[in-house]
Amino acid sequence: MKEMKLFLGPQHPGMHGNASVHLFVDGDIIKRSYLLPGMLHRGFEKQMERKLWVNNIALIPRVCVPEPDINEMAFALATEKLLKLDVPERAHWIRMIMLEFARISAHLMAYGGLGGPTGNYTLMYHAHIDRNLILDIFEKISGARIYHQYIVIGGVRKDLPEGIDEEINAYLNDLESRLNEYRDLGIDNPSVVKRIKDTIMLPEAVVWELGVTGIGMRSATNKPYDIRKVMPYARYNQVEFEVPISDYSDARSRLDIKIKEVQQSINIIRQCLDKMPEGEVRVKPSRGQSMRWTVPKGYVYAPVESSRGEFGYYMVSNGGTTPWRVGVRGASYPQGLLGIEKYLPGTRIDDAALWVDTMGICSPEIDR
Amino acid sequence: MISTKYTEKKKFNKQEIDRKWWEVGDYFRRNSLWLLMYCTGCCAIELPPSMTSAYDMERLGMGPMATPRQADILLVSGYLSLKTLRRLIYTYEQMSEPRYVVALGSCPINGGIYHDSHPVINQLDQYIPVDTYVAGCMPNPESVLNGFVDLMEGIKNKTANGWKKYHKNYDWYKKNQFDVLGEVVIDDEFHQ
Amino acid sequence: MNSISNLEAVDNIINSTGKVIKKEPISDFQVAYEVNKSDVHQILTSLKLEGWKQLSYLSAVDWPEENKFELVYILLNWDKPVYIQIRAKIDRENPSMNSIIPIFPGAKYYEREAHEFFGIAFPGNPDYKKQLIMEQWDDIPPLRKDFDPRAYSDRKYPSREYPDNFSKKDKENESLEKQAKRRKRARKLRTGGEE
Repeated sequence: MKEMKLFLGPQHPGMHGNASVHLFVDGDIIKRSYLLPGMLHRGFEKQMERKLWVNNIALIPRVCVPEPDINEMAFALATEKLLKLDVPERAHWIRMIMLEFARISAHLMAYGGLGGPTGNYTLMYHAHIDRNLILDIFEKISGARIYHQYIVIGGVRKDLPEGIDEEINAYLNDLESRLNEYRDLGIDNPSVVKRIKDTIMLPEAVVWELGVTGIGMRSATNKPYDIRKVMPYARYNQVEFEVPISDYSDARSRLDIKIKEVQQSINIIRQCLDKMPEGEVRVKPSRGQSMRWTVPKGYVYAPVESSRGEFGYYMVSNGGTTPWRVGVRGASYPQGLLGIEKYLPGTRIDDAALWVDTMGICSPEIDR
Repeated sequence: MISTKYTEKKKFNKQEIDRKWWEVGDYFRRNSLWLLMYCTGCCAIELPPSMTSAYDMERLGMGPMATPRQADILLVSGYLSLKTLRRLIYTYEQMSEPRYVVALGSCPINGGIYHDSHPVINQLDQYIPVDTYVAGCMPNPESVLNGFVDLMEGIKNKTANGWKKYHKNYDWYKKNQFDVLGEVVIDDEFHQ
Repeated sequence: MNSISNLEAVDNIINSTGKVIKKEPISDFQVAYEVNKSDVHQILTSLKLEGWKQLSYLSAVDWPEENKFELVYILLNWDKPVYIQIRAKIDRENPSMNSIIPIFPGAKYYEREAHEFFGIAFPGNPDYKKQLIMEQWDDIPPLRKDFDPRAYSDRKYPSREYPDNFSKKDKENESLEKQAKRRKRARKLRTGGEE
C-alpha cells in the first residue's frame, strides 16, 4: 500500500500545545514520524541575555507553561550558586511547598489529558476542577494564578499569608481522599485499560540511548533516579518521601507512577508545613544597587526535578549586569524529538497522542 | 376600532430581506459560538479552566470544536511566532464565514513582553482582522469570558465585522502576509 | 555515595585520557573541565564507559572578544551523582566540530539546534544543516552576540503606533549599533579626539 502522510497537530484535539507530529502511515501503522517543533519559539535565550538579572525573573516562568515554578527555581538556584548566596531557612521550605503544588497540578493536567486521546472526558473534567483549586491557592500565596514570579533570587518574594495552612490542609485531605477515584476513572477503567496497557513500551536500553529522564526513566530502569533524592536541593534531604518506580514501562504504569507521585507530593507538603521554621524569607543579592548589580564570573548548571524529568538551566556570567549565556535544558527534549523519530514507528496512529501525553511532552520548553 | 380599509402589504426589497435574515442569523449565531481548539501560545493554559466545570463556558453556548470548517471563532491565545502565523493564516482561510477572531493576551496587541524578540510578530491586525482583544498577561478566566461577552455584543451591534474587512482589504492583508512570511512554498524534511 | 571520592574518580578518568587546560570545581555534585578540541571525543568515550551514560545538555557559548565559540557538553552519572561539564573552544571563523552521535545518539537534535543558533558545523551528523526551530531564517544565526534582535524586530515587524509616544524611548536609542555609535562619540568628546 502507498505511504500516506498525516499531520497530528498543531491544531488537533489530542495534541498538547502547539506542536505538530508528522506521521507517514501505511494503513494505521506508523512507518516514519517526526516532531515539528519551533511554533512556540520566542528567542528566550537571546532575550535573557539582554535583560538584567532581576528583570529575568519576569521572563523565565514563561518557558514552560503548565509548570512554571521549576523555571524560577532553576534560575534562582543557578544565580545563587554563582553569587555564593545563602538563602534563609524558611524560604527553602516555602519553595518546596510551591514546587510540590506545581508538580501536583502538572500531573493532574497530564493525567486529565488522558481524557482527550481515549475519549474519557469525565476524567478530564475532574482533573481540571482539582487543578483549578490549586491555582486558587497559588493566587492566595503569590497573587497570580499561572505565572507567579514568587521564587526569586535570594528567597521568595514574600511570606505566606495568614491562615493558608488550614486551607492547604483541607485541600490536601480532599485530594487524597479522591485519589482512588482517579484510579477508577483512569488507569483502572476497563474501557481505558485496553488502550493503555502494553502499548508504547519503553525498554531500558532506549532510555539510555535517548537520554530520557523522569517518569519514563524510573519506570523503565526500576531505580529511584530522581534529582530530589540523588542530588537534593532546597531541603529535600530533610523530608521523607519515596520515589515510585516500576519494572514494566507501558503507558499504564507511567500513569500509575504519576498518581503515586501525587500522593508523595501531598506527604511532602504536609511535612513542610510541620517543619517550617519562622524567620526571614528573603535576602538581598547585593548591597547598594537595587537593580544593576553584577554577578561574578562563572559557569554553572542547575538541575531540578520537574514533573517530566531533569530540567536545568546552564548559565554563564562574565561579571556583567546581564547573563552572558543562558541555556535551557528542556526535560522533554529527548523523548519529544528523538523519541518520536526513532521509537514511534511500528506503533499505531492512535498511540501517537498517547506517547505525547504519557511521556510528558511540553512543547514550549522544546522550542523556547 | 380596527380599520377594515385595505392596505397593500408592504414589500421588502432584497436588501431589507437580507438584513432581516442576518439579524435572525446573528441572534442564533451569538448564542452558539464554537471555538476552534488551536492553542497558539501560553494563554491557552487558562482555557481548560474556563471550559470545564469551574467557569463553565457552555452556559454561554460556547464549546470547543476540532475542525476549522465548523468553528466560528479563531482564538489566538498569546504570542505568535512566524511559524505559527503561517499556520494561523491557513486555518483562518479555511474557516467558513462569518468568522470572528479573538486575541488573548498582550502579545497580539503590541508584542507584549516579546516586543523586541526576533521570531515573534508585534501586531496581529496587520495580518488578519481582529474583532476582540483581551488584554493581560495572562488574562484570568473571568476576563476571557468577558471578552467573549464583548464579542457577542459586537455581533449584535454589527461591529464585529472583521471578516468583511478581510474581503474589502484583501490585497493589503495579503501584501503584509507576504512581506513577513516570504514565499509560501516550503521545502524541508518535514514537507517532502 | 561519597561525593568527594566521586570527584576524584572523575579526575582520574579525565587526566588519564586527555590534557586538562583548566579545572573548575563548582559544587559537591558538579565539576567543569576545559579541554582541547581534539580530546573531547576520547574523554566523552571514556566517561561513557565509566558510567556517565546520560548526555544532559549540549550547547555553545559565544565569546566574540576572543574570537572563539565554546562548546559545552554536560554529562551525568545517576549512580555516582556528579555532573561533568566538558568545555572546548573552537574558532569563530568557519566553526566546525565533529559530531558525537556515535557516542551519544541523543546529541542529534542538540547539534542541529547549535548549528541553527550559532552556525557551528557538525560533520558526522547526517542532517545538521536542516532548519529545526525556525523557518526561512534570513539573517545571521540569532544567538551570536553580534545579532541584534531589536533591530531585526523593528525592521521586519511593524509595531503599533500610539498617539503619544509614552512607551517608547527616543529613536536614537533603538538599536545597539546606534548605542555603540553614541558611546563612541561620547568617548571621543571626553578624550579629545582619541580613539
